[in-house]
Amino acid sequence: MKVVAVIPAYNEASRIALVIPRVRSRADEVIVVDDGSLDDTFSVAQASGVRVLRHAINRGQGAALKTGTLCALSIGADVIVHVDADGQHDPDGLLDLIAPITRGEADVVYGSRFMGVESEGMPLMRRCLLMAGRVFSTFALGIPRRFTDPQSGLRAMNAQAARSIQFHQDRKAHCSELLRAASRSSLRVIEIPARVTYTSETLAKGNKTMDALDIAWQLLLGAFQK
Amino acid sequence: MNMLIIQLILLAGLLAALALTWRRARQDALTRRAALLWSLLWIGGAVVVLRPETANLFANLVGVGRGTDAVLYVAVIVLFYLLFRIFLRLDKLDRDLTKLVRRVALDEHENRK
Repeated sequence: MKVVAVIPAYNEASRIALVIPRVRSRADEVIVVDDGSLDDTFSVAQASGVRVLRHAINRGQGAALKTGTLCALSIGADVIVHVDADGQHDPDGLLDLIAPITRGEADVVYGSRFMGVESEGMPLMRRCLLMAGRVFSTFALGIPRRFTDPQSGLRAMNAQAARSIQFHQDRKAHCSELLRAASRSSLRVIEIPARVTYTSETLAKGNKTMDALDIAWQLLLGAFQK
Repeated sequence: MNMLIIQLILLAGLLAALALTWRRARQDALTRRAALLWSLLWIGGAVVVLRPETANLFANLVGVGRGTDAVLYVAVIVLFYLLFRIFLRLDKLDRDLTKLVRRVALDEHENRK
């Protein structure tokens, strides 16, 4: 099975060179989508010898993931893995993420931060925010309660799932939109424990408290789009 | 009929809006249906400006004390609705822009190979 990792990157020149080799050792191909970075992300990623696509202007993580996913499908990916560019996802965990798909036990696999494996450096505020996001996902979006981490950006899916799940949210709301679509389909969606490492840099770029309102607003607008 | 200056100003504004609506409709920037709906709004506004007591009739009908209050409530609702429509339009433009950026990115990658 051809495993393709998709890494959306925005202003990650200082970190992407470290992330790419770690991901490449666990995937057959790596696609980096430079989402209109203002720094040297594109050239640094290209120097790593992987496929690099470039958005002319910044369109958001969801948009970059969709671009990378379409490219992965076009090169014959059997399994597509979404990985963050900031190194917060443990590359060793990618094999665990892919395994249920290669064994034919699942179509979509999410890495959850709340299934027993302690995330390193997760602030209490972030934990509370993610818990609140889970409640919102259940009651406002109808995402089943069994999903412990609806905001997880670490996911793998087979080609059939990647073709059938439609997501249109360009920015941070894509996580909820994607999981909602997957959980309402006939696809087999599971979660496995995942280790995520937070550093001051990843926290500076990650979701802020106010982003939760923005995500809710984007999802509301999205509900009215055809 | 003696008219107040504010009535004259409001009427002139509403007439200008009505004229602009149909000009945009003739230029195909607005559908006929949308132009008719907008015209109803402008004409309704003109009626209230010319005969303020009609607002009282409406207020009594919906259970609001004064006509001016009823006009204010309706105006706020209409403004919120229009603002939401603008947000939806912006969101749609954003999505279209993303599709374009994505197409360019995929084509560029294809050409580089």
